[in-house]
Amino acid sequence: MIAQEAQYRDWMLAALAGDAAKYRMLLAALTRHLRSYFARRLSDSGGAAEDAVQETLIAIHARRATYDPSLPFTAWVYGIARYKLIDEYRRAKRRATVPLDEAIDLFGRDEAEAATARRDVSKLLARLPEAKRRLVEQIKLDGTSVAEAAAESGLSESAVKVNVHRAIRSLTRSVQAPSIHDGDSDADR
Amino acid sequence: MQTDELIALLSEGLEPVRPGTLARQTALGVGVGLVLSTILMLTWLGLRPDFDSAMVSFGMWMKLAYAFALAAFALWALERLGRPGSDARRPLLMLALPVGAILVLSAIQMMAPDADRTALVMGHSSDVCATNILGCSLPLLAAAFWILRRMAPTSLGLTGAVAGLFAGGAGAFVYAFHCTEATAPFVLVWYTLGVGLTALTGAILGRWLLRW
Repeated sequence: MIAQEAQYRDWMLAALAGDAAKYRMLLAALTRHLRSYFARRLSDSGGAAEDAVQETLIAIHARRATYDPSLPFTAWVYGIARYKLIDEYRRAKRRATVPLDEAIDLFGRDEAEAATARRDVSKLLARLPEAKRRLVEQIKLDGTSVAEAAAESGLSESAVKVNVHRAIRSLTRSVQAPSIHDGDSDADR
Repeated sequence: MQTDELIALLSEGLEPVRPGTLARQTALGVGVGLVLSTILMLTWLGLRPDFDSAMVSFGMWMKLAYAFALAAFALWALERLGRPGSDARRPLLMLALPVGAILVLSAIQMMAPDADRTALVMGHSSDVCATNILGCSLPLLAAAFWILRRMAPTSLGLTGAVAGLFAGGAGAFVYAFHCTEATAPFVLVWYTLGVGLTALTGAILGRWLLRW
């Protein structure tokens, strides 16, 4: 879910600033994802999966400075987990046939897709003029009421509605026009 | 050790990460690498004798621009390759720009009516150019690996090769202050070969030196 990517990212940013409690919550949450990820891919003899979980946690800790807050946090963790999985295969002298899968394998389809969707939405919104974008964000994403948004922006309620309606319509049009939707979101990942 | 204990251990006494830590380490590594490479070039090969007049010649600036662009785009790609989950395709594609530019320039020089094509390509130092560039690049390759070992590259061969491209480009930049060649075809063939050798070295070394 968007909430999950956002939650983990928040915890990570707090952890980078030195918040040990949030860091602990983050590592505990990631451990649950990592356990099921490695359990499905490594033989359970000799605790290989749990070793890989610990290796990955240590790597996350040691390499935490490489997290770039402008990129999705789940993709960063997934990159590390996948690297550790290949490492584990290499150690086990197995041919590293790790399929070219995606962050969805670690966080489940919902989360990874939602993270991408969120990015796409912010990218789309960036095309709107500042005032309109603010209104769309407040009403459509944050769930602010029309009355509140009107009070804050100094517009009448009907002006707010009209603005949001127009903004959504222009966004819809720009998504439908193939020339504008150029796969940019993919290259930025 | 239990995973719970590990988590407790890792989060205990957590040190904040200062923003820009990697950028500072990168700047330090690149700076030290350039200094060492320059010292190596000056003591091993020596500055070109006509340095003052060369600094206002087209050939010199062409070599410097080509080498600088290769190193800059490769360094940009390394910044991506060292971070899991980020995409290095754009900076890697940008590497085609300097190569394309020097290719066009070479074609123009080769097609000039009075061109001595063999001289344009072979110059007078073609037998040593590529290996000299490789030599000047080695301190920079070490610096690039030092930086990358503080990052988290997930494709080691590719990252090593791009580290070699960076080191080769920066090493060629330093070597250009020794080399007296001034034609685009020479730079296209021999400089690119030197950078390519460094990239190959980086790819081979990266597979085991960049493991984490």
